[in-house]
Amino acid sequence: MALEDYAGDMNMCCRCSACKFIPLQMVSGFTHANVCPSISRYNFHFFSGGGRLNLGAVGLEKGFNYTPWYLSSIYNCQLCGACDVSCKYGMDMEVLLPLQALRIQAVKDGQAHPELQKVVERMTATGSMVPPEGAKRGDWAKSLGLKDAGKQKVDVLYHVGCLTSYDKGMQKLAQATAQLLGAAGVDFGILGDAETCCGARAYEMGHEKEFLAQAKKSMELIKQSGAKTLVTSCATCYQAYAVLYDRFGLKGDLEVLHTSQLLADLIEQGKLQPKNDLGLSVTYHDPCHLGRLGEPWIHWEGTKIPGDRFIFDPPKTYRRGTGGVYEPPRDVLRSLPGVTLTEMDRIKEYAWCSGSCGGVTDSNPEFAQWTATERIEEALCTGAEALVSTEPWSEKLLADTIAANGGALKVYDLVELVAQATEEGGR
Amino acid sequence: MALDKDIHSAFADVVGEENICDDPTMMASYFKTDFACVVMPKDTAQVQTIVRLCNKYELQFRPICTGWTGVFIPGTVMIDLRRMDKIIEIDEKNMCAVCEPYVTSAQLQAELFKRGLNTNIKGSGAQGSALLRGHGPMDQSCGADDRNHLAVEWVTPEGELVQIGSIGSSDEWFCGDGPGPSLRCLVQSTVPPSCTPGVFTKIATKLYHWPGPERYHLKGNSPNYSLIEMPDNMMLRYYSFDSVEKMIEAEIKLGESEVCYIVYGINAAMVSANVTSSNEEQMALFQQISGQVKGNGFVVIIAGNSQADFAYKKKVLEAIMAETGGESLKAVERPEIGEILMRQCTRPTGAIRETMRPGGTFKSIPNMGQRDLTVRWAIGAGEAKLPLIEKGLIVDDGGGFFGWGVEHGHLGKTEIFCAFSPMDSEANKAVGEWATEQGARAVEEKYFALTMSPLKTIDERTGPAVSNYHLWWYKVLDALDPNGVIPLKGVSKLTP
Amino acid sequence: MIAKEKLAEIVGGTNVGDDAATLAAYSKDESFVNELRPACVVKPHSADEVKQLVTLASETLTPLVPVSSGPPHFRGDTIPSTGGAVVVDLSGMNKIVFVDRPRRVAMVEPGVTFGEIIPAAEKEGIRLNMPLLPRSTKSVLGSLMDREPVMMPKYQWDISDPIACLEVVFGTGEDFRTGQAAGPGSIEEQWAVGGVQKAPYGPHVATWHRLVQGAKGTMGISTWVSMRCELLPKLEEPFVIGSAQLPPLMEMASWLIRLRMVNECFILSGSDLAAIFSEDRSADYQRLQAALPAWVLFYVVAGYDYFPEERVDSSLSDITELAKRLAVQPARAVAGLSAREILKAVQGPCPDPYWKLRGKGAFEDVLFLAPNDKIEGLVEIMSGLAGQAGYPVSEMGVYVQPMVQGCGSHCEFTLTYDPESASQAAQVKDLAAAATKALMNSGAFFSRPYGDNTRLIMNRDAASLTILRKLKKIFDPSGIMNPGKLCL
Repeated sequence: MALEDYAGDMNMCCRCSACKFIPLQMVSGFTHANVCPSISRYNFHFFSGGGRLNLGAVGLEKGFNYTPWYLSSIYNCQLCGACDVSCKYGMDMEVLLPLQALRIQAVKDGQAHPELQKVVERMTATGSMVPPEGAKRGDWAKSLGLKDAGKQKVDVLYHVGCLTSYDKGMQKLAQATAQLLGAAGVDFGILGDAETCCGARAYEMGHEKEFLAQAKKSMELIKQSGAKTLVTSCATCYQAYAVLYDRFGLKGDLEVLHTSQLLADLIEQGKLQPKNDLGLSVTYHDPCHLGRLGEPWIHWEGTKIPGDRFIFDPPKTYRRGTGGVYEPPRDVLRSLPGVTLTEMDRIKEYAWCSGSCGGVTDSNPEFAQWTATERIEEALCTGAEALVSTEPWSEKLLADTIAANGGALKVYDLVELVAQATEEGGR
Repeated sequence: MALDKDIHSAFADVVGEENICDDPTMMASYFKTDFACVVMPKDTAQVQTIVRLCNKYELQFRPICTGWTGVFIPGTVMIDLRRMDKIIEIDEKNMCAVCEPYVTSAQLQAELFKRGLNTNIKGSGAQGSALLRGHGPMDQSCGADDRNHLAVEWVTPEGELVQIGSIGSSDEWFCGDGPGPSLRCLVQSTVPPSCTPGVFTKIATKLYHWPGPERYHLKGNSPNYSLIEMPDNMMLRYYSFDSVEKMIEAEIKLGESEVCYIVYGINAAMVSANVTSSNEEQMALFQQISGQVKGNGFVVIIAGNSQADFAYKKKVLEAIMAETGGESLKAVERPEIGEILMRQCTRPTGAIRETMRPGGTFKSIPNMGQRDLTVRWAIGAGEAKLPLIEKGLIVDDGGGFFGWGVEHGHLGKTEIFCAFSPMDSEANKAVGEWATEQGARAVEEKYFALTMSPLKTIDERTGPAVSNYHLWWYKVLDALDPNGVIPLKGVSKLTP
Repeated sequence: MIAKEKLAEIVGGTNVGDDAATLAAYSKDESFVNELRPACVVKPHSADEVKQLVTLASETLTPLVPVSSGPPHFRGDTIPSTGGAVVVDLSGMNKIVFVDRPRRVAMVEPGVTFGEIIPAAEKEGIRLNMPLLPRSTKSVLGSLMDREPVMMPKYQWDISDPIACLEVVFGTGEDFRTGQAAGPGSIEEQWAVGGVQKAPYGPHVATWHRLVQGAKGTMGISTWVSMRCELLPKLEEPFVIGSAQLPPLMEMASWLIRLRMVNECFILSGSDLAAIFSEDRSADYQRLQAALPAWVLFYVVAGYDYFPEERVDSSLSDITELAKRLAVQPARAVAGLSAREILKAVQGPCPDPYWKLRGKGAFEDVLFLAPNDKIEGLVEIMSGLAGQAGYPVSEMGVYVQPMVQGCGSHCEFTLTYDPESASQAAQVKDLAAAATKALMNSGAFFSRPYGDNTRLIMNRDAASLTILRKLKKIFDPSGIMNPGKLCL
């Protein structure tokens, strides 16, 4: 949908400021009540969901004027969707979708962020969000003897993702995932060097055209592999295939699972048996893309029923963050011997973003780190020794931020802990 | 329009370049109004300097906290108080808390709950500032309006710092009155421009005992949270009555018996809005319960400080309901509905569902005053809504109004609103006319006068009927604001 | 100066007094405030007469000093501070305008005393939230306008309670009604539709009665007040708790009030309690004071229309638990003085002579508000100063009214002395002055300044004083309303 299609939503904003805070019923103290990193950092109302909706509404009426402040508002936003969840506690209206549309409009109008432009161009050229720097995408799997889904049909395709494939520090996640799937008897394959970016981060950066082109490429490869199920340990990729591709009619019948969901099932079925006592206190960070943004897309088309009430024909069901993937990672953590889970104040659909979404790590690394620092502080308040997540982009940013500030908090991906806890992994 | 370069630099010197914006494009985000700039001070000293600069450069200013509503004048300096967001202290021994303007009610309450304390939260919602004067569901037992304010730190329109009450002569915040007459006569933190000119930078607010849990433990995901366990010393019911008179009689008896923590007179449409998470769900539930209620009614929450206390309060409640014919709504007795209301009443978050969600906007006529009198007016105002409902211009709520007793029924709040679509110009017009007619009827029939609006015509029309308050108020404004930096003067000042 | 004939035209010749005896009676009171003779005394009998008086005074720049209560006066605020003043004695305006049981409100003119309103309200089943033992001639309006603390803190939601609305004639001669009474319509028109002048806020965003309350007549003259009333209980159970220490009683009181379990609730020193229940400072007083503990907390548990006994029972069982936790012992009597006797005494005005005068014939109060946790320290400071000044500390009375507006406490030290003894008078005067300074420096908030210490108190909050002076210029541009009071 184009920005104009959200005119009604943008004009519905009543300026209540709920979008700045976690759902108010969940506020449990003075701290950790804010949910929007953008306004929390920059304070002006135009850094909030509601403020941007107002800008969009006025822009549609009077035209868009891309001043430095305006671009700052548009791009200093992780598009994490927290404002959308908080608003929809009370209202029936879209918030995140118009915000995404505003950024796409800006790019269409020639106002792409220069750093994001570079990233997207690289994606188009190399099929990766991360600079390959001479490496091959499938290098992480060199000695593992995994099935090549580019050469033979597979039912289950393990999609690794750009960061996990190329980042030396993150490749262990792919290796751990592959080992766990193998140990559990899952018959899967990988595309290896042929794997290409899901394109989701390009979409968030406002480059809808490039995203769609990339998405088509990616889906073509997946179709060719014959996979009925795609498994990924990257939450961004999960959200891409499960939600974005569905939204744009690209997903077809592909079943999309995040590794946390699959691991939860495998553990429940006894196919993986965590036995090793990890003796670790943890807290869990809900990545936006697996959580509130991972809620299945609802296909709906209709019109507002003329009259007094904001209702539609057919009735519109809103995505309010309710249906994200929240419990499977927690179920997995609870099944790991010696692991005690203490929740942070802001979790699930109202989790504080790690800072890695929306292209902000590229367009404004300082803001990304600031956001991550807030999350790290919140994790430290739980007393946990480690912060666990299911999104490599978050984990990298969090770990780098901790290292930069000299902190002792450890950062793990869920699969690492499962690998350590199972017989195959050991400690 | 963008500020003059020198003026911009002057403000930036105070707050830092990153805390001032005069880009005309961005002003639209703040209430779609062409402000001169937005400036964000971090403390009282910066507020003072900004106000003095406004005086120096003859700029009008207007402060906001979370800023849900108000009247906004183009060309003014918007002082956004977002950076002033600290709880200064919570003093349990003296039952008061001191906050800066951008502390939300939810944050303050959450801290207070941990200490067995509570604050009254305005019905507009817990996202609003903890400083605001107003009314909410807990008025019955937690006071209301400006009566919970204690000491106040106030920057006058000239930029002077006045610390009102005990804080003016000591380090203590517990009292807002004196020495001598109380400046709380003027110092009203309601929504500008209908408020005292200047900026409040800290307010002490009175606290109350909280008999409930340290925190609500909830399960589920937004928007459908539910209490894991209803506190065993609290009970919620919705009672409806054969007539408004019986409802008021019950309300008064409950007030006099002092057994209720909350008496919250929302109508069936508002109940169904409060507990549902979409307009469709609301319509379905409203249809269901409007067939089950006898007529007007209210939510009651009782809370016991002990088992004996709880048992007594329950007994009295049941006796009064039996006497007045109050019938409990079975739907609300179901835990899954009752507990939503329990939370929404003690941490108000349902106002948006009631007012904005149905149609997209609403127009309201509120009155704080003598309950039985204003209810009689409200009945007529509700009847006047019915033709608009029939024409499909406003959301069908049965022509309802709402309200409740305040301070165990000594005072009251009565309000009535129409929810409608902001895109519907015919609805806009009809609702505007309805509001004007009902406001005028309130004056003609001597119920009350709407005096909180800033518009010059309203002041001129109602002022003479209400002790010429407007003339005195304008003199006060002139005295406090000799340089005319308060925008409401431009709108409401009588003298040319 | 207004000619006597002009005054007589307004109030009638018999209501203008300028003979020596009349002027002498209004030129001084029992306080240390300097004597100053007024030019004359007028006694209006209607709001209209008051309005005419103020208009005339404004035109002729004649100072007016309003007085509502009958003598004796103790605070000095009814003594002119400037020459040529006309005292406006409002005691002749003594109508009880209405008492309304359903809306729990009553309206009285300035001259109505507690002794008059109490039975009128009782007849309708309601009562006023009263100050502690006002003298028999004390005006109800005068007490409310003075922000005197009330004995039932549970019902004091706001410090201005129980005031609802006021009618006031400002120094310009214009009348104004506050709160709901402001309009629309006259009071009679409001009554005709069922309005009872109960809601205090407004009109508009101001809460105008706060401007007049505590102003000692410097903004205008009030010609009636409506005030919220409370139900008369069906059942009352009074209790006392004696203690050598003040803090446990403060803690107990704060919980009783916080949990809304009690009506009347206050703390008195043994010396004050003995003074209330003795005729004079004779053996009776000595015996009682010796027998009483240093401090006594008094409170009442009440039941109303619905199951009063059960209400009392459930409250008492909760109070028993509370008392155990705080290690205090509620009792029905202390030192032979029954709680019910105390209750009977405090539910009416004080019979003459006023209890504070019985001891030695004169007294000076040092009164202020303070945070609850500072009260003990302030008592110690006061006792120390009294000791240093050679004042018999054991005779100093202390009244603590906890949880004013549900927050801090009112504290009142009573220093009695023999008015015939110049040395005692000087000692008390100096002690009061020194104490005011010292207590203020230790966190006491003198929200109701009186007498010679006013300047010290008002100037401490110069910024507020500046605003008050601006308001004074609006509401009394000619500066005729009790000039010289409150530094205004």
